[in-house]
Amino acid sequence: MKKHPDINEKVEEALNSLEGIQKAELQPYFYTRLTARLQRNEKTLWERMGSFLAKPAVAGVCLCVILVFNAFILFRHNSGAKNSLSIAGTQNEQIITDNEYILASGSSFDYENFDQQ
Amino acid sequence: MDERTLVEQLKKGDETAFKTMVETWQNMVYNTALGIVQNAEDAEDIAQEVFVQVYQSIGSFKGESKFSTWLYRITVTKSLDHERRKKRKKRFAFVRSLIGEQNEVLVNPPDFHHPGVVLDNKENAAVLFRAISELPENQRIAFTLNKVEGLSYQEVSEVMKTTVSSVESLMHRAKNNLRKKLEDYYKNRP
Repeated sequence: MKKHPDINEKVEEALNSLEGIQKAELQPYFYTRLTARLQRNEKTLWERMGSFLAKPAVAGVCLCVILVFNAFILFRHNSGAKNSLSIAGTQNEQIITDNEYILASGSSFDYENFDQQ
Repeated sequence: MDERTLVEQLKKGDETAFKTMVETWQNMVYNTALGIVQNAEDAEDIAQEVFVQVYQSIGSFKGESKFSTWLYRITVTKSLDHERRKKRKKRFAFVRSLIGEQNEVLVNPPDFHHPGVVLDNKENAAVLFRAISELPENQRIAFTLNKVEGLSYQEVSEVMKTTVSSVESLMHRAKNNLRKKLEDYYKNRP
């Protein structure tokens, strides 16, 4: 280690070296460079929409809405299936009844035709 | 144009008001960033980032503090973020060099010469700036805002959202730390 007699003096000089410091100034045309950067940073509608949807709160709410909508569709589909079963049952009964009617009417039609012939 | 009118015009998206604001405060923002990051190119980059941020978030400025205080806060935050990013990159490069992925030699940055320092003080100021860069963040910000940017303790406290007595304490500790660092430097100087 080097002994220096005037270390304290040097330290004080260094500490006071910022006395009377002038403010640094930017290179010319800073505003032009800044506006060019702002234009580069301008987002399109899709980018803005993307960054809005990417926010955790928005994404969470969207996810919840989708889940609730899915649950609603699923629930509705199940209750709809039950209804269609009972409707199908009624339709079958109707078909049988109609067939019987057709058979019955067919036989009566034959008689009528027979009479005409 | 007074500050309140300027802010109102900025909130309306007036381009002339934005240009006036940039031209009024660009050197203040640049000088503050330069004092913290100690690199002219980085300081200009930060100054641009600050004004982009102002353009995007002027709506959130409620006028509870002076506009210049708000600008100082954004500048300090951006400068510190920049410093942290740079340190992270340096650490990453160091680790990569250790595991042999990168053969670039890690070089310490050259001494910083602030363009506003008087010619006779250039060498001493460069030694002081190196010591300032080794201070803890809060002490560094308080010292830079006071000594490089010329803000009073009251103004520094408003920018740092603290009390004047806290700033006095930070400045006292900063000076003591700087004195120790400078003593070590001059004792061990070849």
